[in-house]
Amino acid sequence: MAVVTLERISKRYPGGDELAVDDVTFTVDDGEFMVLLGPSGCGKSTTLRMVAGLEAVSSGTLAIDGVVMNSVPARDRDIAMVFQSYALYPHMTARDNMAFGLKRRRMPAAERERRVAEVAEMLDLTPYLGRKPHALSGGQRQRVALGRAIVRDPKVFLFDEPLSNLDAALRVSTRNELIKLHQRLGATMIYVTHDQVEAMTMGTRICIMNRGRLVQVGPPLGVYRDPADTFVARFLGNPPMNLMEAAMLDGPTVRVGEATMPLPSRVDPSRLPRTGGRVTFGIRPEDLYEQPPADIAERTAPLPVRVTGIEPLGAETLLLVVPDNTEQEIIARVDRNSTARPGDRVVLGLDTASAHLFDADSGVTLDRH
Amino acid sequence: MRDTLSTRFLGRTVLLAILALYTCYSAGPFLWIASMSLRTTSEISANAYALPETLHWEKYIEAWTGSNYGTYFWNSTIVVVSAVLALTIIGAMAAHCLARYRFPGNRVVLFVIFSTLIFPPQITIISLFQSLVEYRLYDTLLGLTLVYIAIQLPLTVYILEGFFARIPQDLYDAAKVDGYSHWEIFWKITMPVGMPAIATTVILNFINLWNEFLYAVVLITDESNRTLPLGVQKFMGDQLEDIGMISTGLMIAIVPVIVVYAFFSEKLIQGMTAGAVK
Repeated sequence: MAVVTLERISKRYPGGDELAVDDVTFTVDDGEFMVLLGPSGCGKSTTLRMVAGLEAVSSGTLAIDGVVMNSVPARDRDIAMVFQSYALYPHMTARDNMAFGLKRRRMPAAERERRVAEVAEMLDLTPYLGRKPHALSGGQRQRVALGRAIVRDPKVFLFDEPLSNLDAALRVSTRNELIKLHQRLGATMIYVTHDQVEAMTMGTRICIMNRGRLVQVGPPLGVYRDPADTFVARFLGNPPMNLMEAAMLDGPTVRVGEATMPLPSRVDPSRLPRTGGRVTFGIRPEDLYEQPPADIAERTAPLPVRVTGIEPLGAETLLLVVPDNTEQEIIARVDRNSTARPGDRVVLGLDTASAHLFDADSGVTLDRH
Repeated sequence: MRDTLSTRFLGRTVLLAILALYTCYSAGPFLWIASMSLRTTSEISANAYALPETLHWEKYIEAWTGSNYGTYFWNSTIVVVSAVLALTIIGAMAAHCLARYRFPGNRVVLFVIFSTLIFPPQITIISLFQSLVEYRLYDTLLGLTLVYIAIQLPLTVYILEGFFARIPQDLYDAAKVDGYSHWEIFWKITMPVGMPAIATTVILNFINLWNEFLYAVVLITDESNRTLPLGVQKFMGDQLEDIGMISTGLMIAIVPVIVVYAFFSEKLIQGMTAGAVK
């Protein structure tokens, strides 16, 4: 088991103007499941490939268990990686694919066979061991790729979007299998994805990246509840957090459209702009209520809106609304029995304890940490 | 629906007719030579297109022993097999480097290698002759083998580079993570995965070199060093052409090509259609 430390890691590709990875620092603790999350091109896969030794580190220090790995070749890092494309060797059977890494390590044939059989049993692959990849289904290939990593018993597991080639149903079941696998093996794992559901459900912590930079690291719910900036606020959550232009008033209060409401309780008053200054007001769709529950009624502020659309999803209903005196459409996640119709004027209850303020220019949170 | 079916039927018929014509066009001369290889020259002179009345199998023995065909065959085998083996290994290594490693001038190297294909062999033959004489390789099988490797290498690298470049990078990364060195990855991943393209180059090189005449006739003079195409030429005298023996000689020369083709043809077709489906 191992601790992976990235300290001020940067990556610049030859001939590239911008840094693909820019000054990234974080530590993955022993046995932790760290998810690197971000949109495509944010540098998460490059970061993973640097940990794997498949890309050279341009600057910074990469260490596994305190040993600097910058110039150690991939084969000597004792890591295993599962690729998005599975990367199974097409000319070998599932058994040989899984045993390939062990052969290189000169493991005796009997021991090799035993380990492959054991892992195949664990992953329900025993009947398919004699097949070549082209004769396996997508899910089976994915499990062979996983098995190839597990038999190695490496210090660190790396996953590069391993579920993105699976269909929706298989993705959910494989996701659960991976979570169980992590619990069983207790190994250090780094997992790259652009899928926030995977990140939220699998990660011990998630590390959000954007344009090569690390934006926020923390437990999934912590990051969801306290986004470090408007990028994270919009990236996590479906539908994303509503962000609206707002102005600071005396009191201090904040005005959104026609509604004037007290400052969100989590805001750090010392970081606020002066009266009249602009801020970005953030509220998640589930924190807007048609009928606020009694226990939070006293901390809600009224937000008069016009309904422009409804999306009944069965378990809940999404209301598309425009707050009075603004042009911006926002989304409220309300009860499935909502009777609102497009064109209705309603007053939503806004949970001020769950609202956020962000700097209007930089997008950085003004909340307390 | 009916129209579609009849159109399809018509289409198939036309296609089959074209294929049948093409088969006659290409197989006809072969069958003709095969029939002449069992007839004597006087029989052929009497009627060139007749079928053999008596099968003169003894002509094969005569060609093999009496006309030194055994030696020519052996020489051709040594030269061509060595050259194809070297071409496959050197070509695959060069193609692997050009396809997999980013280094300054990568594309320039490929372009320079490939551009040599445009030169007709006559341009280089005098200088090659001179070089071989200076290195004391003129009129030796080793010299001819080296020349064969040189002339076929560009096409080999070009075909293999195109195929190797399409092998997913993830396979190489997976092998690196599995603990393999660049050298091992070449042998354990590139070579087996690239087998369809390698089979293509083996067949092409084998056929081209087995039938190669121009370089052989310029660079080989000694009777004991002649290859098969030169042996066949021996029957074509200034005064007399021994058509019967030429045919027998040609049939002996063709057999290995057919064997190699039969052995590798499935891989060849895979190689030619690779990437066409996905």
